[in-house]
Amino acid sequence: MQHRFTNINAWTVSAVIIIFLLFLPNLTIVTGLFTPSNENWEHMKKFVLWGFVKNSLILTAATAFFTILIGLSLAWLIAQYDFPMRHFLKWALILPLSIPPFIGAYTYHGMLSYTGVIQTTLRENFGMAVNSAYFDIMNLPGAIFIYTMFLFPYVYSIAQVYLSRQSASLIESTRILGKGPWKTFFQVVLPISRISIIAGASLVVLEVLNDYGVVKYYGVQTFTTAIFQSWFGLGDIESSIKLAASLMGFVILILMIEKLLRGRRQYSYSTTKVRPLPLIKLSGWKAAAAAGYGLFILSLAFFIPVAQLIDWTLLTFGTIPMGAFMNYVRNSVFVAGLSATLIIAFALIVGNFARMVRGRLGKLLPRLTVLGYSIPGAVIAVAVVTAFIGLDRFLAPFYVWAGFSTTLVLSVSIVLLVTAYIIRFFAIGYNSIETGYDKIGTDFRDASRTLGLGVTKTFFKVDMPMMKGAIISGFILVFIDVLKEIPLTLILRPFNFDTLSTKAFQYASDEKIMEASQASLLIIGISALAIVFFYKFLERELD
Amino acid sequence: MKKFLFLVIALTALILAACGGQAKEEKTESETATETNESKEVNLYTARHYDVDDELYSKFEEETGIKVNVIKGEADELLERIKREGDATEADLFLTADAGRLYRAKADDLLQPVSSDLLDEQVPANFQDTDQMWYGLTKRARVILYNKETVQPDELSTYEALTEEKWNGRVLIRSSENVYNQSLLASFIEIDGEEKAKEWAAGMVNNFARDPEGGDRDQAKAIAAGIGDVAIMNTYYFGQMLNSEDQEEVKVAEGLGIFFPNQDTTGTHVNVSGAGVVKASKNKDNAIKLLEFLSAPEAQETFASANYEYPVNENVEPSELLQSWGEFKEQDIPLSTLGEHNAKSILIFNEVGWK
Amino acid sequence: MFVAIEDVCFSYTDAKTRALDNFTLKIEKGEVISILGRSGSGKSTVLRLLAGLEKPEKGRLIIQDEVLFDDKIFLQPEKRGIGMVFQDYALFPHLTVAENILFGLFRMKKAAKKKRLQEVLELVELQDFGKRYPHQLSGGQQQRVAIARAVAPNPHLILLDEPFSNLDAELQGKIREELRDILKKANITSIFVTHDEKDAHILADRIVKLKNGRIEFVGRPCDMLDTYRQTGVQPSTDGFVEKSLTGVN
Ligand SMILES: Nc1ncnc2c1ncn2[C@@H]1O[C@H](COP(=O)(O)OP(=O)(O)O)[C@@H](O)[C@H]1O
Ligand SMILES: [Fe+2]
Ligand SMILES: [Mg+2]
Repeated sequence: MQHRFTNINAWTVSAVIIIFLLFLPNLTIVTGLFTPSNENWEHMKKFVLWGFVKNSLILTAATAFFTILIGLSLAWLIAQYDFPMRHFLKWALILPLSIPPFIGAYTYHGMLSYTGVIQTTLRENFGMAVNSAYFDIMNLPGAIFIYTMFLFPYVYSIAQVYLSRQSASLIESTRILGKGPWKTFFQVVLPISRISIIAGASLVVLEVLNDYGVVKYYGVQTFTTAIFQSWFGLGDIESSIKLAASLMGFVILILMIEKLLRGRRQYSYSTTKVRPLPLIKLSGWKAAAAAGYGLFILSLAFFIPVAQLIDWTLLTFGTIPMGAFMNYVRNSVFVAGLSATLIIAFALIVGNFARMVRGRLGKLLPRLTVLGYSIPGAVIAVAVVTAFIGLDRFLAPFYVWAGFSTTLVLSVSIVLLVTAYIIRFFAIGYNSIETGYDKIGTDFRDASRTLGLGVTKTFFKVDMPMMKGAIISGFILVFIDVLKEIPLTLILRPFNFDTLSTKAFQYASDEKIMEASQASLLIIGISALAIVFFYKFLERELD
Repeated sequence: MKKFLFLVIALTALILAACGGQAKEEKTESETATETNESKEVNLYTARHYDVDDELYSKFEEETGIKVNVIKGEADELLERIKREGDATEADLFLTADAGRLYRAKADDLLQPVSSDLLDEQVPANFQDTDQMWYGLTKRARVILYNKETVQPDELSTYEALTEEKWNGRVLIRSSENVYNQSLLASFIEIDGEEKAKEWAAGMVNNFARDPEGGDRDQAKAIAAGIGDVAIMNTYYFGQMLNSEDQEEVKVAEGLGIFFPNQDTTGTHVNVSGAGVVKASKNKDNAIKLLEFLSAPEAQETFASANYEYPVNENVEPSELLQSWGEFKEQDIPLSTLGEHNAKSILIFNEVGWK
Repeated sequence: MFVAIEDVCFSYTDAKTRALDNFTLKIEKGEVISILGRSGSGKSTVLRLLAGLEKPEKGRLIIQDEVLFDDKIFLQPEKRGIGMVFQDYALFPHLTVAENILFGLFRMKKAAKKKRLQEVLELVELQDFGKRYPHQLSGGQQQRVAIARAVAPNPHLILLDEPFSNLDAELQGKIREELRDILKKANITSIFVTHDEKDAHILADRIVKLKNGRIEFVGRPCDMLDTYRQTGVQPSTDGFVEKSLTGVN
């Protein structure tokens, strides 16, 4: 083979290896589809499965709807209008992502419960005998509310960047044609933002499908409930794998629909100049309404729960041992930083590969790696453990030769945990990176190559610097997600390894939400810092 | 190029071999763990995660010089992990807060019998596994809490009585997803048989004040909120609420009375936290030492009272609060039956529509 | 023969029809060729194939006796020594004008680089703009930077894809003249793509007309005028052709 193919093949080979490794643990799940059904399966089908599926469908559809409604309307306001607090809201509306949904769920329930601040105040300060049932959030609508509040920034952030970059003329021309802002929104903004909406909403849907903390606590039985019930409750791993596999099938379907909807459309900007949308200044009640709306959502999704957590922290301060907290912070930041770095590096390789290959398969292959994001963490955990133990067995002779005292090296190390994070959150990083590649298009790369630089040099000198924004945003999203992650961290961590999220979970799962507030606040604080840093950076870049 | 081709082939081979190898070796005989008595470590997989536990482990370390390495997780996942790790597992001791899980660990062949005079002395026989695969460490009862204003204690008698017409729309209990309820129903299956147990579950569903939601504490709050009048809860949650940092919770708890049901019949349902030595343990002696330490009087006091639980060691008095609730008659069934009937109980819950 | 393109065929992966069918063309050194055709006729595809950005199904490309592709050989774009000016210029937004131009000169020594940079900046008359970023330039200036960048490494052949499409009419006229001067001054063999006959007539030594991926016509601009006369088809812009032809010659 000729020497001159080396470049392309180096990328292809590494990309294929990465995709393969990420997909491998999922493979153990796919095979489960083909095992014959047993009596538990029949029982579940008969009594509960349909109800679970129905709940899951309602939950995902409603959450998708509301996150799009809130996320897109806010993105549109920020991208198109100028009003008081706009500058602050622009980045602050990402902050709700820093709150783990299960903490949000516990916090809201804590606030709204009989002993919570709301009912207590009404009872004691106003002497009102309120019906407690009105404040019940622990049901399907409540779960939809929680997911909407803490996940809408996925839609908001992607749509906001996208709308701000949209060519002004498109939107202006609609206005010149005499359409009001509402018509503009529904007839132009909505259709042209389709791609970004789909990208954001599919992240939301996947996140809802794999989450277990919120629905379990709120007593909403979903598909995930079924997976855990058959696995742990009935000890029937076949049925549970079968369920997980069906879930994966469903996700593949969503991904295909997404791809279909995105279509062949290229939305790169290769012109050097992108005319920014000139902001329309709002005044009077309109300005107040716009600012009010943004602040209202931000309060529900961030300020109120954070205030409650701060209150609880003050209440329980000194009652729980705090000595090791610096340690938890260090552990959390270390695993989150390491995983995010690796994910972004891998995503860059795979994304570059997807860009180089022509044809459907090449585009679809990387999408498979997204599957990890859809499967409940505990299922991934077991798949990863299985794979690693196999790997350790295989490497056992080497360990003996190298003088290790044990034959489980990888399986009990941080490598296991980080690998699991990579499988789980690759989708988040890849989504950002793929959008980044889409945005810069292929002309710059082609230009560089006609100027004599190979694929690899081009990557470092052109693609990377041009994608700085996508790289940093991808990194931060993954970083925050790992910081919040719970089932994988819990199961796969090495001995004596605590993170902020395991600590928060530990208290929350013992129904000690007040004691969980310290660790939760630290998670939120670190994530918020990362978000602020990201925005300061973006602003500097744009100047 | 050649280099990369080689890399791909090597990696593929490696992974295939790894997968294949694992499938095969699942069945191979377990090596008898060669004891190194020198070992100064013990590895604990625990589903119990109270802060006070850590203090006890440090104390154990101080006294014996044996370092306790801990992975805290949820019971089911930890069990699955031990299972997957097989002979190579690092785990020495598995500690969990439900006898059903201990039974499952045993049934899955993950534990080994240990005999120790000290353990026999410290842990009563009915809180040990019949094959000495595991030992209970603390116990809790699943009791009825009632609204002191609307319910007189003499109206209450048994779990079964809660299915009567009188309690329609007044009974609170959490979802069937929770293992405490699964174990409760399993105990009825053992005592009364499957039919009766199913009748009870259906009767409960019929009397629910609302669809099950939240944890045990939430049931108590729902009584205060007037949603229902009686709730089934674990004793320690009541203890926690009485001692909460949140004055509102304390107020709620103070409005509740505690009732130990079935005193004249089959006894109140009890469950344990307990631990067993993992079959493939490499530090068996140290694991036994830790078990002995945790069931010894000094540790028992802290270990149990930290979570308002009852010590299993009969030489240790329960905390004052627990004593004030009085003595009570416990269900007289082997605890392992809670695990044996676990799957059955889930099927029943599904059938009767207990969310 | 300086450049020989023989029987090149190509289709995009997920397209049903051939984007290019048996494309054959021979080019002399220093010649300026214009590829003319409606949008979608395959003009850009020709350039991308020559540059090595797409892989042809069959055919052969030889420049100065070196085979760039045939059945067995496929030289990567970075090895071909062919310069390209993209329709949207594709100036690297994170680099200054000078850095953009120096981008392709990485093999040169420092002093040589500096000298060459000055040369091409002079060529495109942008001596004072080296430190600017692309977004700080007008459309016409951007275009000249793109040409300077492509010319700088001394390519055997330079390809320009619709170089005027992003410019307003007034600027187009001016730039057209400039481009012709630049190309002739540097004596570079070039192929440029346009959908506007005006451009082709003013700039080109020879015109290749494409329709649906096939060559419809090859010849000098005046020959093309003859075909119009023979077939009775009028060029799209009335009276323009005569004027511009006299202007050039
Ligand atoms: N990346 C691509 N994938 C599939 N089809 C393409 C692609 N690029 C161009 N085509 C198609 O190939 C044909 C020729 O395109 P092109 O060479 O860009 O035309 P021109 O430059 O003459 O406007 C058109 O029908 C176009 O739709
Ligand atoms: Fe509990
Ligand atoms: Mg074109």
